[in-house]
Amino acid sequence: MLARLRFLILGLWLGCLASADLHAATSVVIVSSESNAAYTETAQALVEELERSGISRSEVLLLRASEWPLGRAPAARLYVTLGAEAAGRLARSELAAPLLCALLPRSSFERVLQQSGRKASPLVSAIVLDQPMSRQLELIRIALPTVRRIGVLWGAQMAAEAPALKAQALSHGLQLTEAAVAEEEPVFPALRQVLEASDLLLAIPNPQVYNSASIQNILLTSFRARVPMLAFSAAYARAGALLSLQATPSQIGLQAGAMARAVLHGKALPEAPVYSNDFEITVNDHVARSLGLKLDAQSLHKRLRQREGEP
Amino acid sequence: MNRWIWLGVMLGWSGAACAQASATLSEKDFLDDMPVVLSVSRLPQRLDDTPGAVTIIDRDMIRLSGARDVADLLRLVPGFQSSTSFEAVAPQASYHGAFGGYSNRIQVLVDGRSAYSPYFIGSVEAGLQTVAMQDIERIEVLRGSNSAAYGARAFLGVINIVTRDSADTRGTQISLSGGENGIRDAWASLGWGADNGTFRLGLDRRGDDGLAGSNGRNSIERFNVRADLRPGSSDEIEVRAGGLVINAGKGFAGNADDLSRDTRYGSAYLQLDWRRTLDPDQDLALSYSHMHESYRDAFPYSLLAMGINDSIAVDASGVAGSDTLTLQHTWRQGSSLRMVWGAELRRERVTSRPAYNTDAALVTDFSRLFGNLEWRPAEQLILNVGAMAENTSASGSTMAPRLMLNWRVAEGQTLRAGASRAYRPPSTYEQFADVRYLWNGHLLEVSTLASGKVQDESVMARELGYLGVFPSLRMNLDVRVFREDVGGFLRQLNAIRPKDYANVENFSLRGLEYQLKWQPWQGAQLVLGQAFINSSLGNDISLADSGLALAAPKQASTLSYFQKLPGGLDLSLIHQNSGTQTLQGAGRLDQWAMSRTDLRLAAPLRLGGRRAEVALVLQNLGAPYLDFDPAFEFQRRAYLTLRVDN
Repeated sequence: MLARLRFLILGLWLGCLASADLHAATSVVIVSSESNAAYTETAQALVEELERSGISRSEVLLLRASEWPLGRAPAARLYVTLGAEAAGRLARSELAAPLLCALLPRSSFERVLQQSGRKASPLVSAIVLDQPMSRQLELIRIALPTVRRIGVLWGAQMAAEAPALKAQALSHGLQLTEAAVAEEEPVFPALRQVLEASDLLLAIPNPQVYNSASIQNILLTSFRARVPMLAFSAAYARAGALLSLQATPSQIGLQAGAMARAVLHGKALPEAPVYSNDFEITVNDHVARSLGLKLDAQSLHKRLRQREGEP
Repeated sequence: MNRWIWLGVMLGWSGAACAQASATLSEKDFLDDMPVVLSVSRLPQRLDDTPGAVTIIDRDMIRLSGARDVADLLRLVPGFQSSTSFEAVAPQASYHGAFGGYSNRIQVLVDGRSAYSPYFIGSVEAGLQTVAMQDIERIEVLRGSNSAAYGARAFLGVINIVTRDSADTRGTQISLSGGENGIRDAWASLGWGADNGTFRLGLDRRGDDGLAGSNGRNSIERFNVRADLRPGSSDEIEVRAGGLVINAGKGFAGNADDLSRDTRYGSAYLQLDWRRTLDPDQDLALSYSHMHESYRDAFPYSLLAMGINDSIAVDASGVAGSDTLTLQHTWRQGSSLRMVWGAELRRERVTSRPAYNTDAALVTDFSRLFGNLEWRPAEQLILNVGAMAENTSASGSTMAPRLMLNWRVAEGQTLRAGASRAYRPPSTYEQFADVRYLWNGHLLEVSTLASGKVQDESVMARELGYLGVFPSLRMNLDVRVFREDVGGFLRQLNAIRPKDYANVENFSLRGLEYQLKWQPWQGAQLVLGQAFINSSLGNDISLADSGLALAAPKQASTLSYFQKLPGGLDLSLIHQNSGTQTLQGAGRLDQWAMSRTDLRLAAPLRLGGRRAEVALVLQNLGAPYLDFDPAFEFQRRAYLTLRVDN
C-alpha cells in the first residue's frame, strides 16, 4: 500500500502518469510491471540518475504496464522497462527507439525475446538481476576459504547450465556436487544427496526448487547438516541463508539511469544483456555466529569489488 | 467426509509438497519476501556461548559407539555413571552419583518434554528409553546444575534427547541386531510427507537376557510417531506421540524378600508444540504434553516363617501421570541481547495402594516462571543471568538463580565462571510413602511410612570452565572444575522401622572433569574423558551411614578411538575405567571398580541401491565386571547389526 503511494507520488512528481499525449518532449518512458517497493525504488534511482545528468523530470514518463497503450506507443528516445511483464508488453509493441529491460532475470529476458521474435541487440538490451557466476564463486572463495565442495540443486530444465558451472567452479578450485529435481517431485532426495557431499549450498534461482513453500525444509535441512547457503536475495539471508549476493533495485535503477543517459547522448545500448556492476552482500549474523563464522558484509563487498578490479 | 479430508491433509496425502511444476522464473523470485525459517529459537547457541558445560553426542557418535540405549551411551560423558541393569525399571544413568537405585537428581528431556518418571520418585531410567537410538539426532548433556532453565529435576544436570526431524527420515529404514546373551533388536521407521508436513512412524524392540546372575531378561517394545506440520509461513506445529512397554525380570530365586518375578512397565505420551515466528528476532512457543505410566510388580511372600500357612502379595504396582503446559517467548535485540522467558504449569498424579495405602491419586502441582538473559557487553564477553521461580504444592516456593560469565580470551579460547542454586522438591513417595502388609485384615508390618517432614534439597554449584579449540593441532579441550554443595540431602532412613525419608546431611562434591578430542591423523579421532571427584561431609555423619557413599567414583576415565579405514570401514575401540563405586542397587559399603572395553567394526554396503551397514560389536572384551548389584555380572557379548538407511 505504502509502495503504491510512493509510486503515485513519484508519478505525480514526474508530472506524468497521465495521458502520454500531453508530453510531446518525452525523452525516456519507464514502464513498470508493478508499483510495489522494489519497482518504485528502481524507478526513483533511475530518474535521479537522469536528473543528475541534466535531464529534466518533465522529460520522463512513468507508466504501469497495465497503462501501456495497445495502439501507438508514446514517442520517446528510450524505453526502459522494470520487470518481465513490462518487458514483454513493450517488446511486442512497435517501438521507434531502443528498449532497455531492467529488473528481470536473464531467463525472463530471453523468453521475452523469444516470444516477441526479437534478438538481443543495441535496440533491445537488458540489465539482469542474476549475478555472474564468477562473482558468486569468488565470493565463496573470499568469505568461506575452507569450502571445497559446492552443492547445486537444478530445476527440471536447468541441467544444461551444469557443464559451464562445473568448469567455472573448477577454475576457482571448487568441486561441484549437483542433483536435479524433477518436476512435481519432492526436493528432499536431491537435497539430501547434495548435502552429503557439499560444504556449501549455492542456490541457483528456480521457483521449482526454491520457493516460499520449500524454503523452510531446505534451510532447516541444510542447517542441520551444517551446510550453509549462499542465496540470491536478501530475503533468503533474512530467512536463514548464511549470506546472499544480489543487486538491489537502487543499484539496478542507477545503472539503468547511466545507460539511459548514454543512449540520450547518442551511444548505443550494449549488444548483449549486462549484469549489474554493483552488488550487495547480506550476511545473516546470527546464522554465522551459530556456525562459528565471522563474516562482515561490508568488508566482503569491498574485497570482492577489488577482485573485480573496481575502484 | 470432512474428517477424511482432514486426515488426508494431516498425513500429507494431499497438498502440494512437491517441486512446483512449470513455474517460470521471474523477478519476483529475487525480490519477494521469504518467511523467516531460522528464527531466534531455532538457532542453537555455540558451545563457547553456553552458560555451562555441554557435551554433545551426535548421530555419528551414537552409531560408532555400538551402544544399544542412551544410558549405556552416557558412559562416554565425563562425570556420568551408568548401569545396564533392569532391576530399577530400566538401565540407569547419573551424573556425580546415583545415590541409590533410582537416579532422580538429573533431568531428562525428549524434544523439550520433561520425561522423568513421577512414579519412580522422579527418576530418569524409563525416560531415557523413550525413543529408539536410531531416531535420535543428538543428545545434549548439560553437565552441571541447570534449574534456572529446566526446573527442579535439573538439580545436577540435564540430558536433552533431540530426535531426528521427520523431514530427514522420509522413506523406510530398518535395523536388525542379534547376538550373544539373547540380544534380539529390531527397528523400522517409515517416513513420508513433503513441504507442508512430514511424518514418521517408528516401531522397535530391543531385548536381551540381562546381566549374568540376575533375573534380568528384558525387552522394550516401542512406537513413536512424529509429525512436523507447516500450516503457514510463520507457524510450525509438531505432534509427537508414543508408548513403550518394558518387560523385565527382577529379583532372586529363593529370596523370599525379593523373589524372582516378571515386571511390566508401560508408558505413553502425547506432545503438542506450536511455534510462531513473530519476526526474525522473536518467536513464541506453546507446548502441551501428557504422560501416563503404569507399573506392575508383585510377588507372593510366604508367611510360613510367621507360622501362617499362607502368603501375601508384595506389590509395587500403580499408575502415574503428568500434564504440562508451557509458554515461552524468545527475543533478541541485535547481536548483544537475547532473552528467553516463560511460564509453565505442571500437574503430577500418582496412584498406588501398595505404596501409599490409598486408592486416591496423590497430586502435586507445579507452577514456574523462568527467564534467562544473555547479554554480550563486548564481543569477547557473554553474561548469562537466569532464574526460575517455582511453586509446588509439595513444598512451597523457591527461586533458583544462575549467573555465568563466558570470556573469550582469544580466538578459540573461552573461560567460563559462574554459580547457580537449585532445589529439588521431595517426590510423592518421599512425602507420602505408606507401605504396609495385611493378612486377612490383620496388619503384619508397616515397612515404610513417610512422615512428610521433608523439605527441598538444595545445591549450590560453582564452576570454572575452559573451552579450547586448536585447529592447527586438530584438537579441542573442554574442562570443568566444580564444587557442588548439597544441602538437606534427602534420603531413606533404613536404620529405623518403619523406614522414613528425611533431609539428613550436607555434603560437597568437588572435582574436575575434562574431555579432549584429537584427530591425530587422517580418519582418526581420539576422545579422552576423565572425571575426578572428591567429596566431603559437612556435618557429623559417618560415611557408612551417608548418602554420599553412594556418590560417584573418585576417578573415572574413558578413552575412545574411532578410525575410518580403507573401503569405508569404521573401527571403534572404547575403553572405560572407573574407580571403586557403590553399586547402585547395593549397600553403602559394597564398592567395586570396573573396566570395560568395547570394539566395533562396521562395513558399508549397498543393498538394492540403498545405503546399508553391517556391524559387529563386541562389548566388554575383558573380564566380567559387576553392574548394579554384587551378584550381577556384565559378561562379554557380541552382536551383529544390519542397518538399511533411507
